[in-house]
Amino acid sequence: MRSCLWGPVFVLLAGPNGYGQQLPDTIKLHDVVITAPQRADFASGVKVQVIDSTALARFRFADLGNLLEQESPLFIKNYGPGSLATSSFRGGSANHTAVLWNGFNIGSPMNGQVDLSLVPVGIADNVIIQYGGGSALWGSGAVGGSILLNNKPVFNGGLTVEGGASCGSFGDQRQRVGISISKPTWIGSVDVFNTSSRNDFEHVNTEEHGSPKLRQQHAELAQQGLLAENYFRINARQRINARFWYQRNDRNIPPTLMEQSSTASQQDESCRATTEWQRTGDRVNSYVRAAWFDERLNWHGTGTDSAAFSRAKTLIAEAEVRIKLNNDRQRINIGLNNTYAQAISDGYPDEPRQNRTALFASCQFADRKRRSTTTVSLRQEVVGGDPAPFTWSLGSEYQLAHWLQAMANIARIYRLPTFNDLYWTPGGNRDLLPEIGYSGEAGLAAKGEASAHVSITAGGTVFQRTMDNWIIWLPSGAYWSPENIMNVWSRGVEMRGEIAWHAGTTTVKLGAWTNYVVSTNQRAKAANDASVGKQLIYVPMYSGHGKLSVAHGPLHVSVGANYTGYRYTSTDNRSFLDPYLLADAAVSYRIAAGKKCSASLLAQAFNLLNADYQVMLNRPMPMRSFQVGVNVRFHQPNAIKNIQP
Amino acid sequence: MSRIRSPFRFLPVAVLGFPLITTILSCRKDKPEQPVETPVTIGNEHGVYITNEGNFQWGNASVSWYNKADGQAVEDLYAPANGSALGDVLQSMTLHGGKGYLVVNNSGKVVVVDQDSFRATATIAGFTSPRYLLPVGGNKAYVSEMQGNKLRVLDLAANAIVGTITCRGWTEEMALAAGKVFITNETRKYVYVVDPATDAVADSIAVSSGGNSIVEDANGKLWVACKGGGGTPPALCRIDPATLQKEATFNFAGSSANPWRLAVNGDGHMLYFLNGDVFRMAIADDALPNSPFIAAEGRNFYGLGVDPGDGTVYVADAIDYTQRGRVFRYSAEGVSINDFPAGRIPGGFVFR
Repeated sequence: MRSCLWGPVFVLLAGPNGYGQQLPDTIKLHDVVITAPQRADFASGVKVQVIDSTALARFRFADLGNLLEQESPLFIKNYGPGSLATSSFRGGSANHTAVLWNGFNIGSPMNGQVDLSLVPVGIADNVIIQYGGGSALWGSGAVGGSILLNNKPVFNGGLTVEGGASCGSFGDQRQRVGISISKPTWIGSVDVFNTSSRNDFEHVNTEEHGSPKLRQQHAELAQQGLLAENYFRINARQRINARFWYQRNDRNIPPTLMEQSSTASQQDESCRATTEWQRTGDRVNSYVRAAWFDERLNWHGTGTDSAAFSRAKTLIAEAEVRIKLNNDRQRINIGLNNTYAQAISDGYPDEPRQNRTALFASCQFADRKRRSTTTVSLRQEVVGGDPAPFTWSLGSEYQLAHWLQAMANIARIYRLPTFNDLYWTPGGNRDLLPEIGYSGEAGLAAKGEASAHVSITAGGTVFQRTMDNWIIWLPSGAYWSPENIMNVWSRGVEMRGEIAWHAGTTTVKLGAWTNYVVSTNQRAKAANDASVGKQLIYVPMYSGHGKLSVAHGPLHVSVGANYTGYRYTSTDNRSFLDPYLLADAAVSYRIAAGKKCSASLLAQAFNLLNADYQVMLNRPMPMRSFQVGVNVRFHQPNAIKNIQP
Repeated sequence: MSRIRSPFRFLPVAVLGFPLITTILSCRKDKPEQPVETPVTIGNEHGVYITNEGNFQWGNASVSWYNKADGQAVEDLYAPANGSALGDVLQSMTLHGGKGYLVVNNSGKVVVVDQDSFRATATIAGFTSPRYLLPVGGNKAYVSEMQGNKLRVLDLAANAIVGTITCRGWTEEMALAAGKVFITNETRKYVYVVDPATDAVADSIAVSSGGNSIVEDANGKLWVACKGGGGTPPALCRIDPATLQKEATFNFAGSSANPWRLAVNGDGHMLYFLNGDVFRMAIADDALPNSPFIAAEGRNFYGLGVDPGDGTVYVADAIDYTQRGRVFRYSAEGVSINDFPAGRIPGGFVFR
């Protein structure tokens, strides 16, 4: 473990959302508010960012990749509108971000990744980014950080009918309709969504003579989906829920700037069903939950004879107990997870199956004055009878002053080899070891009122991580094979600040964040390897974001800019993509019609400066583009008599 | 509260100042050095072109040049001369009539360049996934294709595709011998024989599957390297182009062998090929070589060429495929001479 970066264990910014937030799941019981801690709360000392509701509303028609690109410091490897989007979190690979939907990891067992372009923002009520090593809580893959997508039911909320539509440049059309009936003891809701886009945007082909303006071809997208949720309150203490998310996605895969044309296409279809029973006691909360995921992928290449089909099924069962002791100054969480996955693919001669069982526990302490919180977490997973690396984390948060909080965390992290790594034929390597490493961070977060009208938040985090046995595919004889070769050292500084001025119904906010990420390969992969000590490809060393927003009553206006620095496209850092600055603007206006109806209108523009840029090499990106949308909501509260005593 | 606050009254300064300063001091420069790109004219120099495939879909194919007289290496000839990128996956290059024919596989094109200035003079488009180009007499040339079960017939005067020849499978390297064209096949266990007079497949000769490279030896016999597969072993096969018969087969032990990049020296008596390491075999030998001629020693050998003039052996190391490669030169006896950088994924050598 390197220590040189730990000297300046100071931070700046964690920002408006930078506190180690408690994420209370609040339920009202006989007028007593019982706050049930979530598993995410058992991570002291890590940076947590809750995407605010304004951003969620703005991106309600978009996918998670678009949202995170704009609203988080994650680097999204976006292959173009509607195309594949994966993440690099704090210099990690796409396999190093865990994406959890209501606590269930939705990463594909086949490649260990989530294509963020296939996750609509509307699938969750809130989006939380938990930075840093979370393997002790979430298991394999929670290395750079975790993205938590949660649905939050509100009982006795009444009837809500909501519908929205947007249309935008390049034939982009999106619709959503939802109905939710929320009674004191039951909630039922259904959302359906539909997206289609031609994606035939104009772009400049700088690779051709005279940099001609071309129109993107063969990038059409169609997506349909449904989200159904049911929540029952069995009695004052018990609840049960069931959720179902179905989605199909059909897209054409456009040619790169260097290809003449493409006829490739990809169809994804997924079913995800989850259920959870929970009992809320005075001291002990118990949870039993299960999930069933079935994902299919059909790919047709440009060639006449290239097509691939794969299907993965995952069954997850989990039980968890949370205990509050000593007037809630100590909390204990113990859980058992069993994940069974199997897959069919043209690349797998047999039908690989994998069963993983994990026992995990956390213990959280607050001091008597509740000025500090410390959490220890442990997790041991067994994969098909073999123990995976034992992981743990230790973190602490300390309130230095009423306006200042310090935090630090250290964790053991790991990632298991995927089915492709293990079983792909030819090449799959069944002797692969898990990737394993340490991650640590320390931060300060400040929050204060400069005057009656002005509030300031600022924060900073220093992090570092080492990852050994990093798996890469290298040639071995006639085919490629994955090996535990690389050792990667990632470190960086994240800073964040926001100043807000409010008066009456007007709020003006000016915010910014910056990221500095150095992620280098520390071990030669071959003789003559010039990549040692060099930045990994597609990890921007510098990136930043600035945003000015004005809210005045029902009107909300914002302008923002995102800077992404050089990204190398060769491991010796000799080839690179140029930095880009993307500016965007959004205006929304909320209209209330009576007590029951409301509508919000949204107009936004992207790439205002008409930047000609590439996120990924040779994948064209759109120039300036626009979107307008409307969302109409009807809400009728339940009659008074239905409210519980 | 006040007891806590007072010791921390300098904290705002520390919070804002210290990390800022340390960040600024510790930051790395991310701006890479921009390579100087001046066009190079080769003139009458002797040397070797190195074709660099580049990464699939990354569009970073290039052609390096090594001047034998002064030992100077140029990492890329094409982009500086033309002000644009060559394309996606440069599979091969053929010199013919003072021109270089660059077969750019995933861009589906053949770019014609002047062999001295390297300026593009024409682009022949309309291929599916072209691999190799072979002039077969007059202005006619054949181009093999990975997909589509066909060969293309080119008119090199018009720089256009003028016909197709149906030929099953993934056609790869080709050779002209005894008035016939012999075509290796990566996916079928045959060498197909095409008569350039009729532009039609005339015969097929059973070898092993995975045929990838073909050379003519001093006796006018053809040698084919096959990777094996589909129940056939990796093998070197000798064909008599006059009788269209396979004369000899040298099977490799075990299916993990991967013989490819077969090359022959100037006098046609010595064969060279890659199989992890570089191996050498005299055409008169009655068995495959047991020990490497040049051991890879951790290098990722991806290309092999033998100078027809002096027998110097050129071996390309693709390293990790995502950085510039390196070329190693060895004397005809296998003694290391020097090495120099090439472009991304160096795969082929063309001597002039």
